[in-house]
Amino acid sequence: MDQNNKYDGVARVFDFFREGDMRRWGHAQKNHFKHMQGKVLHIGIGTGMEIINFPSGLDITGVDLSPKMLERALWRARQYQGKIRFCLMNAESLAFPDNTFDTVATVCVFCTVAHPVAGLKECRRVLKPGGKLLMFEHVMSKNLIYGLSLKFMSLFTTALEGTHLDRNTVENVRKAGFTVQKEKNVYLDIVKTIEGVK
Amino acid sequence: MTIPRPLYILIHMNFKIIDPLTGTCSGAIIAFVVSQIIPTDWNMFLAMAVGGGIALVLKFVLLLLLAPFFGAFEVMIPLSITAMSVGMLSGMMSAHGSVPDGCIFVTGGMIGLAVSAAIYFSNKKLTRLQ
Repeated sequence: MDQNNKYDGVARVFDFFREGDMRRWGHAQKNHFKHMQGKVLHIGIGTGMEIINFPSGLDITGVDLSPKMLERALWRARQYQGKIRFCLMNAESLAFPDNTFDTVATVCVFCTVAHPVAGLKECRRVLKPGGKLLMFEHVMSKNLIYGLSLKFMSLFTTALEGTHLDRNTVENVRKAGFTVQKEKNVYLDIVKTIEGVK
Repeated sequence: MTIPRPLYILIHMNFKIIDPLTGTCSGAIIAFVVSQIIPTDWNMFLAMAVGGGIALVLKFVLLLLLAPFFGAFEVMIPLSITAMSVGMLSGMMSAHGSVPDGCIFVTGGMIGLAVSAAIYFSNKKLTRLQ
């Protein structure tokens, strides 16, 4: 099964399984995304659960590779006090010209993108010079015990839904050419907010 | 669909109460199930390995039940540590023969609580150091 079919398949239960995360992380996301400005590209918008944590009045373009997920995001987009449009697109091949956006935002997406550095390079390409990359992602822990748990669970999550729990996303952001300005732990050293600049 | 009142209260409880509560209950449940499955005449090493295996299966079941309400990582990390240690220890205690089931159950719960507490302080330290 390819990645978009996988996400079409889980679209119906996606909100239910993410509800706990949203309750835990809502406040941290609001704090992190308050720095969004101008034209925003939201990679992997999914069912749009995070829209509620974005500041109002922005011009947001949400991309996702699952049409079913985007269908479910529509009602949330209608409630947003600003502009939102959706595009069916893969993060690794964005169909936007260079230097288009002021901010690129992601929430737990680069654990599932097949080639994360390639995807991040695309984000960098579409960002204007000085533009911000705001990520809310889970990464591999440096703690041996937490790291082993993540490595073990990653075997199952990768096979089931293509989610890698053992990625070093902060390093991938650097590899893609961004300057990492801030990196903040939200839960242990696993869930992080990352701020990069082109 | 209406959520039953006790479940509603549990879901909307403060996470500072929920985390140790789910940790303790998970440890106790795993210990109880392992103690009911492992016979008293087994070799200690075999009992430890099978106990760990049973705990692993229970870990996935509990993760599926708890993560949607209380957060995937906040459930998964303590549960992984609790399940492995409680499963193996309960297996050995059960095979020993002379340890009452109640004692195994309480030990499992206490390990679950201790892991929750350790992770709480570890999280405080890691989220402060930045």
